[in-house]
Amino acid sequence: MSSEPILRVKDLTIDLLTAHTVVRPVDGVAYELSRRETLAIVGESGSGKTVTCFAPLGLMPVGVQADISGSILFDSRQLVGSDNETLRSLRGKSIGFIFQDPMSALNPARRVGRQIAEVAELHLGMTARAAETRALELIKMVGMSDPEIRLKQYPHELSGGLRQRVMIAIAIAAEPTLLVADEPTTALDVTVQAQILRLLKEIQSRMDMAMILITHDMGVVAGAADRVMVMYAGRHVETGPTERVLSQPQHPYTMGLIDAIPRKQDAIGSRFRGLPGIPPILGAPITGCAFMARCGYAVDACGERRPPFLPTAVPGVSAACPVLNIRAKECA
Amino acid sequence: MQPVRPLLKAIGAFPRSAVFTIGAFVLLGLLAPYIAPHDPNAQDLLIAGQGPTLAHPFGVDHLGRDTLSRLIVAARTSLVGVCLVLVCAHAIGIAIGTIAGYRRGWTDELLMRIVDVGQAIPSLIVSLAVIGIAGVSYWNMILALALAWWPGSARISRAVAVNTMNKPHMEALRVLGASPVRIYFVHLLPTTIGAVLVYATADAGAVALAIATLSFLGLGIQPPTPEWGQMLVDALPYLESDPRQVILPGLTLTLAVIGFNILGEAVALNRVPKPLTSRMLAARRRVTAFWAKEARP
Amino acid sequence: MFAFIAKRARNAVLLLFLASVLCFALVVSAPGNVAILIAELRTPTATKADIAKVEEELGLNKPLLERYGFWLNGAIHGDFGISYKTGEAVGASLKSRLAVTATLVAGGAVVAFLLSLFVGFVGALWAHRAPDVVTRGSALLGASTPSFFVGALLVYAFSVTWHVFPTFGFAGPVSWVLPWLTLGFLPAAVLSRVVRVGFEEAMAKPYVLTAMSKGLSRTSILVRDAIPNIAPTYLNALGTQIGTMVVGAVVVEPLFAWQGIGDLFLTGVRFRDFMVVQACLLVFITFFIILNVVVDICITLTDPRLRLQRS
Repeated sequence: MSSEPILRVKDLTIDLLTAHTVVRPVDGVAYELSRRETLAIVGESGSGKTVTCFAPLGLMPVGVQADISGSILFDSRQLVGSDNETLRSLRGKSIGFIFQDPMSALNPARRVGRQIAEVAELHLGMTARAAETRALELIKMVGMSDPEIRLKQYPHELSGGLRQRVMIAIAIAAEPTLLVADEPTTALDVTVQAQILRLLKEIQSRMDMAMILITHDMGVVAGAADRVMVMYAGRHVETGPTERVLSQPQHPYTMGLIDAIPRKQDAIGSRFRGLPGIPPILGAPITGCAFMARCGYAVDACGERRPPFLPTAVPGVSAACPVLNIRAKECA
Repeated sequence: MQPVRPLLKAIGAFPRSAVFTIGAFVLLGLLAPYIAPHDPNAQDLLIAGQGPTLAHPFGVDHLGRDTLSRLIVAARTSLVGVCLVLVCAHAIGIAIGTIAGYRRGWTDELLMRIVDVGQAIPSLIVSLAVIGIAGVSYWNMILALALAWWPGSARISRAVAVNTMNKPHMEALRVLGASPVRIYFVHLLPTTIGAVLVYATADAGAVALAIATLSFLGLGIQPPTPEWGQMLVDALPYLESDPRQVILPGLTLTLAVIGFNILGEAVALNRVPKPLTSRMLAARRRVTAFWAKEARP
Repeated sequence: MFAFIAKRARNAVLLLFLASVLCFALVVSAPGNVAILIAELRTPTATKADIAKVEEELGLNKPLLERYGFWLNGAIHGDFGISYKTGEAVGASLKSRLAVTATLVAGGAVVAFLLSLFVGFVGALWAHRAPDVVTRGSALLGASTPSFFVGALLVYAFSVTWHVFPTFGFAGPVSWVLPWLTLGFLPAAVLSRVVRVGFEEAMAKPYVLTAMSKGLSRTSILVRDAIPNIAPTYLNALGTQIGTMVVGAVVVEPLFAWQGIGDLFLTGVRFRDFMVVQACLLVFITFFIILNVVVDICITLTDPRLRLQRS
């Protein structure tokens, strides 16, 4: 499965500067992604999952300045420090994006067909008519009925699931090598979520794409991801193959996340097993482990310095936890 | 004091250029009789049309009246007119808007339809119609402009009143048995007046323009009372020989209005995010540089 | 869509009826006895018999409802009565002056439309950079300058100093330029701010992030994504400004000695010539109501959401 990685992120740190405040939502994150592989980035809201993927490609709303340091090698091209034009030529062409809320992400005043076709026009050098044909093909590919009619419709005439399919069609229109999907199923009905996820996997294998799946839903992770990266307060705390991380979580935060999923055997009316406490407010970087305040296993050493990210006793799984690292060393 | 607080708070956030021009206009208007170096109506036909001298730094008009003094006193004419119009317009507007917002139902529906029609008709035509029927006089002008301006005020007041009535503490007051009179006068009215004051300030420029326009047309402030629009039309026949007397009042009026318009734009653009200025970027980066240093040891 | 237009047209007719009642009521409720006014206008030493004759002639002694019906019937057929001041038929004056005012407002609207789009686009394309700062500053200045001052400055510069355009008169296209600019300048400034603020708001919307994720340049995003979204707002503002320009004719026509409806209205207001005021008001309000319907239809055509809602 794994070959030469197409994406290699090292020590990625992002500071977001706004008119009111400055935060560091991504703090020294590192990961790799191979061709055809799916990586799920998991964490609570505000843990920096979205910024990790969007800011380095210049996708930030007006009024937010992202200062980025570290290294991102995409197809052996360095993205950190690249100018806007280079990043723009990658967006849409080599990297496709899917957003959380397809209602606000699609332009309400333009026909769906045009919104898809313009990507083909821009990146595949097609004429308007050829691009229109391409849009029709894509609409069929993402499994929409009555494709000719859909092309002429406006986003508000479509259901949530269909809008997300349009969004997917836009993202894959230029056959990118990497697809970044930011919570693609969160805004959808439960019944539609599985369909969209299945469609994503199907298209991924057909187009030989790598995919980053940003989510907070462990069900999505289990169903779609090859590997997982768990983020907490802007830092990656655990990575590994999906089945191992889900069955033998190593980091106390991952354990908490998995434990918080309601189970079938839970008595009706029993209390939710949430994580105690709330995530820290992002701001100045935290000395020591960011999870310490909510962690049941914490020792004094946790607060002294940032825990290094090291392999654990489970093969292929690495984590950043002093307690765990000591245990791993003892095992070795 | 309750209604004044939001205004003071808003002034703190106003663009400085707006505060400065509006402040200058208001000060000039308040202190006009003490600042003006000459009697604005004293004629001296011997020096009529003369250019700037030490005694008359902006020259004199075709009747030999000191232009500087007339410009300064005109600020007072304008300020008093604007205040009277705004007070009358907002008295009507707030009364109707709060009643609509308090009663809701068909009262609201009926009043707001009237406001719709009032807002659809340009303000100048309403004032012209009123003056055309009632005749030309100072108070008719004030009345005419107030009748043209109240619908806007009513619309905003209603929005604020509806918003206030929907707040949980108002519901609580009602449940606790506070009388409608008490709710209306102690809680609803002051809040609405406070919120509307900011809009009134931003609207003052348009009123000042309207007063000047009516006076230019000979339907507003009558000679010899100095007023910018009326000074301009007075000097218009002499445009070729003495353009200064046309340009000066026009410029002063524009300056007075521009302050209010800057304010209006700032209010309108408040909600839209803007790219950071380089100064702000530098300030934020000083914070992150400090983080980097902190993390190193 | 057709049903929507029909509904709007029905509402417009209702509003027209209300407007006619209002115009009629204004004059009926006006202070002073109209009959005495007219009688004295004809013969300064008017007797009671003269006044009675005028009352009889104008039907002033009939019941209100009948008078209204009589007046409305006349108005529909272009008969707005006789001016108290000049004794001329108001309907004929209106008709002869219509072309002048139409020329003025149409030219002013074109000036406002072109100038506002140009200035607004320059500001949006170079957002927050020098051209934006300059155009915004000019727009602010333009929106704060009264039209009579703009007119005076234009006349001073182009007629008195450079002799490019005539100072006044309605004699062919060359004489139209200054009045057009005078009338269109302030609306252009106001509209350019609508364009600029509209772009600013549109560019902060989530769909712009999607457009950026497609790799589109900022300029294409402005053209493809922002314009369709600000078009309805702009059309609405343009409609309002055209309405304002019609009234602005009251200021601009006398300034350039144009004999249009605005000039007629102003004279009517000055001399409290009720028949003229009434007729002009009715013409203006009729125009506003029609303008409103047209704007509403245009907005519905440009906004797909409204189109769905209303068809």
